[in-house]
Amino acid sequence: MVELIKEAIGIGWPVFLLLIGLLLYMQASASDPEQKKAVTFKTMIGMLCALLVFIAIANYKNNFYGESRLLPVSLVMITVMAFIMGLYFPNIGALMKIGGFMFFVAAALSGYGNWLPQVEGGFPPPEVKLDFQSMSAQQLGDEGEKIIFGGIGASKTQGAIGKGQCPLCHGFQQGFLSERAPNLYGIPDRAAERLKEPNYHMNDPASRPSVQKEAFEGSGTATNGQEYIAESHACPSCYVVPGFGVKGSNDGESPMPTIHKPPISLNLGELAAVDTWMYVREGKDAPAYEDIVASYEKFIPEKDRPAEGGEEEAGPGGSLLADGSEPIDKLFMKAGCPGCHTVPGIEGATGKVGPVLFEGSNAPNRIKDPGYKGKAKSVKEYITESILDPNLYVVKDYPPDQMPKDFGVKLSAGAVNKIVDYLSQLKEGQPLPPKE
Amino acid sequence: MGRLFTRMTRKNKRLFAASLLLVMGAMLLMPILMAIPAIASGGGAPAGGPPPDVVAAQKAAGEGEEEKKVEMGRDVYYKTEGPAIGMPAPKTEDNETFYPRYNFESRVLLWFANQQHLYYGSFVLAVPIFCMCIEFAGMVSKDKAMAKKYDQLAYDFIKISLTAYSLTAVLGGILIFTFLTLYPAFFGYLSSIFRPVMHIYALMFVAESGTLYIYYYGWDKMREGVMKWVHVSMSVILNVIGTVLMFLANSWIAFMMSPAGVDEQGRYLGNIWHVLHTALWNPLNVHRILGNMAFGGGVVAAYAAYRFLSSKTDEERAHYDWMGYIAMSLGVAFLIPLPFAGYWLMREVYSYRQQMGITLMGGLLAWLFIIQATMIGILFLSTNYYLWQALGRMTGGERFQKYIKYLVFILVCGLLIFITPHTIVMTPAELKAMGGQQHPVLGNYGVMSAKNGGINAIIMTTILSFIWYQRGNRVPTVSWAKFGNIFMGCFFVVAQLNNVWLACYGYFIPANVRIGLSVPQVAGTLSCLFLMTPLNLAMLRNGRQLGPIQWGKIPPRSQYALIMLATAFTWMMGLMGYIRSSVRLFWHVNEIMRDNSPWAYTHTIGFAANVISFNVLFFWISIMFVFWLGTLGAKKAPVTGPVTQPVPGSPAPQPAAGH
Repeated sequence: MVELIKEAIGIGWPVFLLLIGLLLYMQASASDPEQKKAVTFKTMIGMLCALLVFIAIANYKNNFYGESRLLPVSLVMITVMAFIMGLYFPNIGALMKIGGFMFFVAAALSGYGNWLPQVEGGFPPPEVKLDFQSMSAQQLGDEGEKIIFGGIGASKTQGAIGKGQCPLCHGFQQGFLSERAPNLYGIPDRAAERLKEPNYHMNDPASRPSVQKEAFEGSGTATNGQEYIAESHACPSCYVVPGFGVKGSNDGESPMPTIHKPPISLNLGELAAVDTWMYVREGKDAPAYEDIVASYEKFIPEKDRPAEGGEEEAGPGGSLLADGSEPIDKLFMKAGCPGCHTVPGIEGATGKVGPVLFEGSNAPNRIKDPGYKGKAKSVKEYITESILDPNLYVVKDYPPDQMPKDFGVKLSAGAVNKIVDYLSQLKEGQPLPPKE
Repeated sequence: MGRLFTRMTRKNKRLFAASLLLVMGAMLLMPILMAIPAIASGGGAPAGGPPPDVVAAQKAAGEGEEEKKVEMGRDVYYKTEGPAIGMPAPKTEDNETFYPRYNFESRVLLWFANQQHLYYGSFVLAVPIFCMCIEFAGMVSKDKAMAKKYDQLAYDFIKISLTAYSLTAVLGGILIFTFLTLYPAFFGYLSSIFRPVMHIYALMFVAESGTLYIYYYGWDKMREGVMKWVHVSMSVILNVIGTVLMFLANSWIAFMMSPAGVDEQGRYLGNIWHVLHTALWNPLNVHRILGNMAFGGGVVAAYAAYRFLSSKTDEERAHYDWMGYIAMSLGVAFLIPLPFAGYWLMREVYSYRQQMGITLMGGLLAWLFIIQATMIGILFLSTNYYLWQALGRMTGGERFQKYIKYLVFILVCGLLIFITPHTIVMTPAELKAMGGQQHPVLGNYGVMSAKNGGINAIIMTTILSFIWYQRGNRVPTVSWAKFGNIFMGCFFVVAQLNNVWLACYGYFIPANVRIGLSVPQVAGTLSCLFLMTPLNLAMLRNGRQLGPIQWGKIPPRSQYALIMLATAFTWMMGLMGYIRSSVRLFWHVNEIMRDNSPWAYTHTIGFAANVISFNVLFFWISIMFVFWLGTLGAKKAPVTGPVTQPVPGSPAPQPAAGH
């Protein structure tokens, strides 16, 4: 408070000087002692009010971007000042009381706004360059889950949402209420069934009752389940599931945005990841990456395909720790693993916070552990899982929540693969693997 | 000429006045009429053919001449093909070239400049509409004294707006400079898109100024006879021009939210009508007209309150009491349909982009709607409070005082239900901890039908307060008065029961069916408004007067209700403008031009609330200055004589009839 008062005086000293000058002038010019007393009193009130105003300004200045939520206090101070002025200076009384009341209303509303839970909309998520083509189905599926729900394993959390924004409207779990758009559980099987719906008009797009007959002129219709999924993403209005059309369009138009266009703008690799997850999570074999991409290419003309990796769209803070092009030693250093782990063969990697990474030997045992809740079936899957979701299985005698959970976005897929490859070859009592 | 007028019959005079106005109107609207061929050639039809010069160019290209081939683009909204004659939207980067900056957040500076211009713009567009209504009411009034009073009031209104008008223009200039200084790439792009109509905007502004000055300075000269008709009709032209101006300004923000007339790269496709007529243009237009009126009413009411509180004589107090009442009534009259216009706007937002709607109502910006609900509650509570206080200036008004506590109870219950939130965005961890999307107990709070029940109860109670106010000093004497009273009572009770029943019923049906309940709930409220208010007036026709309305005798605290109304209107306008603007998230022009400035994120609610408060207070401090300037040049005494004191039992005087 003392600091604040000092700052207030620092800002408002010319006004205080002026008031003191005024006080001296009035004292000199007034002859009646009563009048002198009144003038002194009023000037003091004026100075008090000026002090309140400058404290309010100083507080405003200090807390403008602050998280302390104290800004409305300034408005309350000005309210008090206005009412004091209104009380002692009747000639401007009405104005001061009205002004004071307005400040009071504004202070109350500002205070209310600051009292409510504070949500800040962050920058758009940075786009991370991933090499989808070289991923396994499980990895691709995990990426898909991240795109849909914002994280691996997040599909089980209601309300979780990722870049694709799908759960805003679609339900994904069996039996979940999905009012805005169809529930996508079972879509791998259902997709082929949709082709037989009377309004789908397979191979006869001109007969469709929808506002848009084809994804683009000459694209034709889907002829198998995967193509149906691709067409739904690329041209949501080509076929609308009964009951889910735009109100009044008689199911001729879909409210769903085109997924490869802004604002969502998923590229073909990301779309393939999303589709793969929908197959994999139901335990079904997903079509090959190339086949999924081909299904999209049928419905998205080349000029409309978003660039892989997002070029200029990468927003602030989108830097990677490592992109996988580094030699293995440097890669481990950049990723920061040696800080906590001992990694045999990597110079300086002697951390003791986490376990020694003889993963070639450790992983099979951990997968067999009754406390293991992950989904990995192989050593490489286990290591990938541990990097991307470290809390899924915490090695006995080591504390949980120690390892960062954002390696999925901080490391490129290539970097993760490279780390996984190396660690999977580390076996206790056996020679170290080659570094390249 | 003068003799000619005096010889004319009343009918001929009107005919002459109408023709004169038609000519004037045609001249003033000339810029638009002249621009129509240009717009039409832009391909107004949905098929959207290219302009003739482009067609010629294409033909020439087709004939193998060395003309540059015009690339065709596809309209992002209308899906029509057109020649991509504009430049693509610039791909900006976070540097000084695209985003020059001072040592302060550029977005907040622009926010401030924009908001101040908007406040003043709304005010000066709304006031002429009031003037038109009040001057017309004065002109057709048979009571000479009342006619004069109305005329004076209209004159007072326009006088206030005149000083504000020049300030609006100054603020408009500041806004443009702020844009050019801080967001040159973005402003350059928007200007290139709107180039075909920018000169119309400028010309309309000149026409608006010219008409306004003639309207104001010609007031005395055009006081009598046919010239009065010309004068009143000039206010119609003034308002037409003002509305067109506002529509043009709205087209910019509508384009930023829901672009059309450009291809995916943001290239202008030669059809300016598509650029103007975007998905959200018309809902925004309607919403803004109503909003301006409510806001204008609030500002004038606050002015009247200020003059009332600083009045030295009873005469002044009476005049400003009356002025405040009229302004408040006009403001509230436009406040009531405002939620319906808002509903339309929101529906269009959802049908344009569902995610945009969800971000507004159920996502990032949802808490702001809780503030909005609170503000709506405050507005209605203040209105009711004012009406109850106003009963105090009427003999007979005390009959209703004892029932007011019940209305307070209903209002408070309705408000608490209305402002209770339902599903708010939660983090996955919170959801996990809670075990689902809805809390087992708290999930029952803030259900839509119950919230609708709350606000409908508030509106119905306000209508009832208004009906009591109308009856304050009068008793119906029509033969069917008893039946009418019973009918009205039953109607209100049934409407309220229907409202409460539907509010409860909503808990037992699925959410998507529940949404439909709002229709019968609103229908009940609107029936009360549109059936009961006229029925009440019909019953009070030639009713027994218990005493005069003693204008000026209203307790001073009532004036704070008017100030509360005005401040709350201003604050709510700032809030809703912020919501509308921030829903674009990180886009300058939604999905076309990305905001890559360091401020491409959405602020917290608290920060937004603080900036809104600053804007509101800055506006009020500056407009107080404008009011003060207005009083400096006040040569004409605003008060024309003592307030009408009717003899009990005689026909009601105009202010009373004009409840």
